[in-house]
Amino acid sequence: MTASRPLTAFVLLLFAAVPLLATAGLALAALLNADAWVLLGQSPQWLGAWSMSVWTGLASTALAWWATRALLRRAFVGQWMARLLRPVPAMLATPHAAFAVGLLFLIAPSGWLLRAASPWLTGFDWPPPWPTSQDPWGLGLIVGLAAKEIPFLLWTAATQLQRSDVQQRWQAEHRLALTLGYTPLRAFDTVVWPQLRPRLRWPLLAVLAYGLTVVDMALVIGPGSPLTGAALAWQWLQDADTATQAMGAAAAGTLALSVALCAPLAWWALSGRLGATSRHSGRRGRPAARASATGVLMPALQVLYGAVLLSLAVGSVAGVWPFPAFWPELWTLQAWASVWASAGTVGTTLSLGLASALAALLWSLAWLELAPRQWDKTLRGLLYLPLILPSVLWVLGLYRLTLLAGLEATWTGLWLAHTLMTLPYVLLALSPAYLGFDARVGATCASLGHGRWTLLWRVKWPLLKRAIASAAAVGFAVSVAQYLPTLTVGAGRYATVTTEAVALAAGAQRSLTSAYAWLLFLLPVLGFVLAAWVSRPRRFAAHLASHSAP
Amino acid sequence: MSLDIHIRHLSTSARTLLRDLHLSVPAGAIHTLMGASGSGKSTVLAAVAGTLPTQAPGLHGDWTVSLNGQCLDALPTERRGIGLLFQDDLLFAHMSVAENLLFAVPPGAKAQRLAAVEHALHEAGLAGLGPRDPATLSGGQRARVALMRALLAQPRALLLDEPFSKLDAALREQFRAFVFDHLRDSGIPALLVTHDAADVADPARVLQLTPPTGPAHA
Repeated sequence: MTASRPLTAFVLLLFAAVPLLATAGLALAALLNADAWVLLGQSPQWLGAWSMSVWTGLASTALAWWATRALLRRAFVGQWMARLLRPVPAMLATPHAAFAVGLLFLIAPSGWLLRAASPWLTGFDWPPPWPTSQDPWGLGLIVGLAAKEIPFLLWTAATQLQRSDVQQRWQAEHRLALTLGYTPLRAFDTVVWPQLRPRLRWPLLAVLAYGLTVVDMALVIGPGSPLTGAALAWQWLQDADTATQAMGAAAAGTLALSVALCAPLAWWALSGRLGATSRHSGRRGRPAARASATGVLMPALQVLYGAVLLSLAVGSVAGVWPFPAFWPELWTLQAWASVWASAGTVGTTLSLGLASALAALLWSLAWLELAPRQWDKTLRGLLYLPLILPSVLWVLGLYRLTLLAGLEATWTGLWLAHTLMTLPYVLLALSPAYLGFDARVGATCASLGHGRWTLLWRVKWPLLKRAIASAAAVGFAVSVAQYLPTLTVGAGRYATVTTEAVALAAGAQRSLTSAYAWLLFLLPVLGFVLAAWVSRPRRFAAHLASHSAP
Repeated sequence: MSLDIHIRHLSTSARTLLRDLHLSVPAGAIHTLMGASGSGKSTVLAAVAGTLPTQAPGLHGDWTVSLNGQCLDALPTERRGIGLLFQDDLLFAHMSVAENLLFAVPPGAKAQRLAAVEHALHEAGLAGLGPRDPATLSGGQRARVALMRALLAQPRALLLDEPFSKLDAALREQFRAFVFDHLRDSGIPALLVTHDAADVADPARVLQLTPPTGPAHA
């Protein structure tokens, strides 16, 4: 058994590494086309689209970063970190596309925001001809992206802050700074934040890469003219003309390059060198008498999520809904009947989600259990490839891979694509708890005469039930939210809730769009609820007071 | 019947921890291994229990362990018949107190296994607490359950890795007596690792570990 472990781990590695490397290689090979780059250089649309991507990507990242820092410092100083984090899981579970659709219905000229103010305040009896639904400045996209990324950054910061050793140390250092006369906020800025910030580098890079290259959100709420670079690249990739397709690939490559160039810039801006002088100035900070605007940041974010989700829920059952009316005049379940009638879409979504989450979970469990630590450390970069490469470039490789394997437009091909995308997230979610498992528990179990399988089935996995269940739920949520891989590999023959919601958002069927977007939100949430239920703590027999003596 | 250990050498990638250690523990005896932290005393236990590769992957060396004349070197931990007790009780959190104990009892008739658990609970002064969540027990109670669990597996030798170091002074005294009594009753060889001279069970059986090269490492 011991001797065969590295061998098993190696076979396991092949199962993941071959498709991952093939996908990445095929994607990069698509960039080796000189004509395409010339064509891209000559395109009158590209520069504008690329600039729009850089603008929305950087602005949303900066906004999310600023808000995260403001929230963390207030919560740390005020000691309400737990309260700050309570709404975060539900926000994280909301798919980007669903959020974008809901936000669109909120801020569109005929959306709830203007209905709430009309006609009593605005005097509008008709929706004004404002460009709020897909504004040409990308502001809607920036707000949508930032609102989705703030919970992500908060959550990654929390995983650092809530490690008991780190938390105690930083709180002690913070208290020490207070005794030196620093105000609480200033002490956070000078002592805690410089230590936390470098640990958020990779999450920040992920946020930047996502913002620069996102397609589904940009199609729903991003500007229509110019499109963002990613949306334009995607449009080109879908063109029937092969030269245009190649240009799309070059555009996707340019975006990947832009991320690589923006990353050091962003890291430098956050390296603290900008604020170093002020940090060492010795100033103790002014007593914080005035209330800060950041106090309303989290409530505002919660209200936004609530309004977005409510607008989807109401929209999905709305029949006739003339403009200034705040509530629909007619309620109907017609949209849900249509969703029900196309049960195949929901079925595909569920089967893909369950199958890819299960495959990614089994692989991750086997990998973490069998792979030598050194392999795992060295190979993480490879396993995270789908996170590092922009999805619009990644799907290019996926498409070619499924073509090579003869799996295009099949459920198996889709499952493979979804599993490859799901794998890094599941591995990320499972690793901390799995690798942190006390080796002495395994030694104790073996010393009691039990073999490896008994350890795994009766001790280790039951003890790690919560981490395993939530990793599976994360995998399911990631699969449900896949947009580009589903369209590319499915070749239009398979629809999921995500592809339906994004496709419908461009049309006029408000209630049907809302229904799909609401379902898109509901499915991952159900996954997380199920995971929480499965891993609920065991209830032991009631305590007997008479026996509680030491 | 005895536990015989011969460690020719044991090293990390940086330095040699031990050289030429001979140890023979007869049945019913408790041998104490003393040394400062970093002297490699816990490593000796891991080598005897066969848990070195998982617990300290960077270590290598050359040693032989035999129990009652049978060489254990090729056997995995679960087939050595050697019990382990750490400074933390390491009771499985998802099992009740009784289930933790039952987990250790070798296969057999159900009624007999349950009777063994009941007996162990009684021995530990915990009769009636079987269905409880181990987390609701006091530190001293949990430590006693951990010892009973190790003994219920009917080990042929027992290793104790600073089992008293996390208990406060009063509790420590009590638990030490409890452990030593049970070990003597069980009639198996035991090896105890500690840095506290008060923990020594038998002054005639103490081995002080000092690093073979260079000054003592803190």
